[in-house]
Formats: sequence, C-alpha cells, structure tokens
Amino acid sequence: MELLQYALLAMSAAGLGAVGGLGGAVLLVPALVLLGMSPAEAAPLGLLSVAAGSISAAPSQLRDRSVNHRIGIVTELAAVTGAVAGATIAGALSPRILTYLLAGAAAAGAVLGLRRAPSAAFVDPAYGRADVGERVGRLAGAYPAPGGGVVPYEPRRLPTALGLMTIAGLVAGTAGTSGGFIKTPTETEVMGLPLRVATATTTFTVGITASAALLVAAIDGRLDLRDALAVVAGSLLGGQLGAGLQRALPDRSVRRLLALVLGAAAVVLVVRA
Amino acid sequence: MNLPTRAQPLTKTRSGTPLVAGRASIVSTIRGRWQAPVLTRVAQVMFVLAVVGMLVPAAIGSVLAVAVVGAVIAIPLLRVCWLVFRWWQERDTRFAVIGLALLAVVAFGAIMAMGS
Repeated sequence: MELLQYALLAMSAAGLGAVGGLGGAVLLVPALVLLGMSPAEAAPLGLLSVAAGSISAAPSQLRDRSVNHRIGIVTELAAVTGAVAGATIAGALSPRILTYLLAGAAAAGAVLGLRRAPSAAFVDPAYGRADVGERVGRLAGAYPAPGGGVVPYEPRRLPTALGLMTIAGLVAGTAGTSGGFIKTPTETEVMGLPLRVATATTTFTVGITASAALLVAAIDGRLDLRDALAVVAGSLLGGQLGAGLQRALPDRSVRRLLALVLGAAAVVLVVRA
Repeated sequence: MNLPTRAQPLTKTRSGTPLVAGRASIVSTIRGRWQAPVLTRVAQVMFVLAVVGMLVPAAIGSVLAVAVVGAVIAIPLLRVCWLVFRWWQERDTRFAVIGLALLAVVAFGAIMAMGS
C-alpha cells in the first residue's frame, strides 16, 4: 500500500514537472516528508523521480523538436558547477535556512512566471520546415508551433542567465532538488525563450543534474531500492502524461499552472520549516 | 565566458552528411529520430521491470531495482556523451568541448563526494 502511495505521488510530481519544466523533486520531496519519511531518505527519491521523468518525457519532446540541446548543455555547465559548490557548503548551513532558501526561490519563480507573457513565441512566416532545429555553432534555433508555422528564437542576456543558472545549481546542491523551478523562469524571463523550448530544455537538463546527484547518493547507500522501484514506475508514467499535456495545453495555461504549483510548494516549505 | 555566437561556415558533417542551410545559419542534423524511439523502448522496459520488481519477492526485486536505478542514472549522462559525439561529427567543436567540460564537472563532483 505504501509503495502504491509513493508511485502515485511520483506520477503526479513527474507529470507536473514535465508540464512546467520543474523537475518534480520540489513537489515530491515535501510530499514524502509530510507522509513521515525523513528528508535524508526523501531527497534521493526526489532526484530519482526527476531523472526518470526526464527520460520518460524526452521522446515526445524530441519528436516536437522543442529541446535545444546546445542551450541545455551551456546552461547546465553553470548549474552543475553551482551544484557541486552547493553540495560542498550544504553541511555548513542549517536545514531551516536551506528550506527558507528553497521556499524563497520557488516563490520568486511563481511571481516571475505570472508577471508577464512570454515575448518570443511568434510564428515567422519567412521560416519553413527546413529551418526547424538547432543552429550549428550557435544557441539559436526554431521549433514548429503546435498551430502551424515555425517559431524562431535566439537567447539573450546570456551572462545574467548563466549567473542565475549557477544559483539554481547552488540551491539544487544545498537543498537536494533539481533546481528546475529556477531554470525554467530564467530561460523564459531572462533569456526570452519560448516557454515550450524552455520547459523541454529544462526537462532535459534536470535529468543530468539529478543523475549526477543520484550517483553520489547510490554510492553512499542512501537509496531505498524497494521505494525506488515505486518512484521510478510512477515517474515514468507521470513524465509521459506530463509531456503529452504540455503539448496540448496553451502556453498561458502552462505558465499559470507552473506559478500555482510553485506558490503551493513555497507555502508547504515555509509551513514545514 | 566567451561563447560562440556565429555559425561556422560548414556544409558537411565529419561523416559526410550534408547540413541543411537554414535561414541565417546552418541547421543541425540532430533531430532525435534515432534517440526518441530508443528512449521510448528503454522507458517501457524500465517501467515493466519496476512494476515486476515491486510485485516479486525482495531478493529478486532488489536485483531488478539495481538494474532500473542504474539505467536511470546512466541514461541522462549517456545522452550528453552522444551529443558530444554528434557535435564533434558536425564539426561544432566548441559545443563538443562544453559538453565534455560538463561531463568532467559531473565526474569531479562524484569523485569529491565519494572522497568526503
């Protein structure tokens, strides 16, 4: 019964994570702690959910051509560097400070997401199917809009974005989440990427962050294998459902859902602290 | 950080595949056509193994769990390795180097954590 509960929770978290490009750990870890699991046990399961959800959502996001791997790898380099630094200083910070840090970041992401509509998702009639994809040697790209036509994009304010990605990594390293709730708003609000590209690219990158952190947790023996099976099963299903929903929902709805989830996560974290 | 901002004047990958000349720059040949079906199959197999592992006795379940968790950890990193290889094929050396640097930071973090 407990395993089924974990599987259902993981499915919901991974589904919402894929829809909003969050990663899902920021939702699953507080939920598991509320069910009575210790934060030390819950954190690796949260990361497992993120990595499994990322794998599950990948096929449909790759078929959509909405992932920009070049942007993903460049931003992930900054994020992973921050995560390594965060993991190093995590021991020096009290759990309460870490929780407030996480709640503040989630609340900031919710406010940023609601503040204004994305500016970059415009169909350009000059672009055709041959233009869809990433650009060799550049961070620019174009993706096919769900309603027809092609949307070109080019990220801006890269140094600022890389600084924020490092902070996302720092938060991820200290608090044990993937940092997706900071990465997606950074890509849409700072870099000016269309939400569909930002969520798909973040879903790809949070898988890398989670995989790196899981490697350490698994070696340390901090992962309960029985619970892990339930979380993987639920997350694989949730990631698939979330990616489908992300394709079907209009950008505005995704942004509202993302803000709602982030706001709720912030409240839960403050209450827990 | 000095990041690439301009397209490289290329028309072919290292393997000889012509690059599509898109508007304002060259469109990458990486389309996920190969990755998407493979990841779908892998996810399906992992899902079945995870469900079976929950239902069978703990001894067998643990073996399946090790396989499933191992795959979950390895796949995202293997995707980065694959991208590095494809970018090198596309002669997009700068991004291939950035990908390698990412893998190096991940490895460094893991080694450091194991040491502590």
